[in-house]
Amino acid sequence: MTLPPILAALKKHKAGVMLITLQIALTLAIVCNAVFIIGQRIDRIERPSGINENNLFLITQSWVGAPTGDDAGSVDKLDAMQQEDVATLRNLPDVESAISINTLPLLNSTWSGGIGLKPDQQSSTAQAAFYFGTDEMIPALGLKLVAGRNFTRSDVNHMGFRGHNRPPIVIVTKALADKLFPKGDALGKTIYVDRDTPSTIVGIVERMQVPSPDSWANDWFWNSVLIPTRLDAGFARYAVRSKPGRLDAAMREAPKALFASNPMRVIETGDNFEDTSVHSFADIRTHAYRADRGMAILMGVICLILLCVTAAGIVGLTSFWVGQRRKQIGIRRALGATRNDILRYFQTENLMIAGVGVVLGAILAVGLNLWMMKQFAMDRMSLLYVLVGVIALLVLGQGAVFAPARRASRVSPVEATRSV
Amino acid sequence: MLKMTHLSKVYRTEVVETYALRDFNIDVKEGEFVAVMGPSGSGKTTFLTIAGLLESFTGGEYLLDGVDVSNLGDNARSKIRNEKIGFVFQSFNLIPDLNVHDNVEVPLRYRGMKSAERQQRIKDALERVGLASRMKHYPAELSGGQQQRVAIARALAGSPRLLLADEPTGNLDTQMARSVMELLEEIHRGGATIVMVTHDPELATRAQRSVHVIDGQAVDIAEEPRFHAQSRRAEAAAEGGAH
Repeated sequence: MTLPPILAALKKHKAGVMLITLQIALTLAIVCNAVFIIGQRIDRIERPSGINENNLFLITQSWVGAPTGDDAGSVDKLDAMQQEDVATLRNLPDVESAISINTLPLLNSTWSGGIGLKPDQQSSTAQAAFYFGTDEMIPALGLKLVAGRNFTRSDVNHMGFRGHNRPPIVIVTKALADKLFPKGDALGKTIYVDRDTPSTIVGIVERMQVPSPDSWANDWFWNSVLIPTRLDAGFARYAVRSKPGRLDAAMREAPKALFASNPMRVIETGDNFEDTSVHSFADIRTHAYRADRGMAILMGVICLILLCVTAAGIVGLTSFWVGQRRKQIGIRRALGATRNDILRYFQTENLMIAGVGVVLGAILAVGLNLWMMKQFAMDRMSLLYVLVGVIALLVLGQGAVFAPARRASRVSPVEATRSV
Repeated sequence: MLKMTHLSKVYRTEVVETYALRDFNIDVKEGEFVAVMGPSGSGKTTFLTIAGLLESFTGGEYLLDGVDVSNLGDNARSKIRNEKIGFVFQSFNLIPDLNVHDNVEVPLRYRGMKSAERQQRIKDALERVGLASRMKHYPAELSGGQQQRVAIARALAGSPRLLLADEPTGNLDTQMARSVMELLEEIHRGGATIVMVTHDPELATRAQRSVHVIDGQAVDIAEEPRFHAQSRRAEAAAEGGAH
């Protein structure tokens, strides 16, 4: 059977056809945009941090009764305590390396500021996150130096937590270097981290994410500055890398060793992420993206439910039509239709309904995306999503209609002789 | 054209077997017009559905146009129904969603016929039954007689060798029944073999011979036609001329 007779028959069932067409259209529009959002969330989740995350964990601890003043004596005392802790951690048999650092990518504890190219620049050229550490920061975190040099031990200073940050040299990420110096000649150039003190870029690392995974940092997600300064405060963070396969053991032993070295400190060990001070980097990553993962799962479940409801609608309507047209199918069989002809009739009928549905749905999908771009500053959805959605809905329709269509094809031609 | 030998049709349930046809024998020659009569439940409709390959039989032999149909697959049976058999049902069995044109076109489409030939055949068939002007009408917009004529046009369009009619005038008033019968006689004169199931003895007299089905068996076969449409018409003409 070709299209005109099927179309003519469909005209007699306008209400059912319109409802299922609308359902297919809405499903396509919502599913396309939902899958697009899921894709964006997955892209965010899969962004590389730039550091080697394997066997890495972080300890955040506070000393009890530590100096609190900003005077040089207090700061020096805190610095000595910090270096003693680092030495203690490095001496553990399961530990490969340990450094003190103010924060880590994805930790959601951000030191940041505007970077200028001139002194006292009113509006910064770029926003960036600051990582305070030593010459061991790059090798310990597994950062990849792509230009220039690492810090040397003599480059490293230390200062109090409330001290004025005046680094004479810095290392920046490639993204920040390109943003500040689009010609690619950032190495050796001067930037202003604190408005009035020039800092020379001595090295460029390939990538290092900022600590915040939130959307407010989306525009400068890869802009980081490494500063050769140990921050001395009443608390300290240690990024520790265990030997391969010894992460759990190292995470258990590290707090014990720190307590053994100096019991006047607080290291929390609760069950929840927020209640503990020792986190594997895998946990930090999971925690950072839990909202994105939750949103992706929610959107996925909504898509699945919508697709199931649409498939059920097609099955239901076709089953109803098969029951309603049993005699008609018998007549067609009596007049020479084969089982395949009947199967094809219902498949084609569905294809026509779904065809109109997906055309409407594609327009709606693009419209919905444009509306969300305007209302929620979403990105433009690639038409590939719509194309894949169209194919998926057509395949879904054909799959859903198959069972009732096959049931229809099994109606005996003798039905033609039976009175309704 | 149609030959059934010791044919049986048994409907089985878990507890009982019911013979709809038992040792049923019939031989319809090419070009014959045979009326099949019998009381309700005698098996005449079962005979017609088996003859039209609408359902299978349990035992015996059935040769249709010289072909043993007992072992044919579903597709082959569909093809024979489509190309060799035309059906006219008591309840017309037009497809309500399709207009007259599309209804007549249904078997032609299943035959895979080209559009130009289909259109010509539809036009010819509807002209033959006097409904060429109603092509765009839907069945619900036609009288019973007109619907049956469309059903006949649908059967005729495929140029079937065998026309099976199940109580073709059963739902029609006398005048419409007469015109439908005249149409069937005209088709018969054109060379088609017609087997017509009917309750009406008067209609049966217009066939060349009658077969009575009683308790699933064909009996009382009148070999000689008692009346024939052509001779009746000749008589009528003679009567008309005498006045």
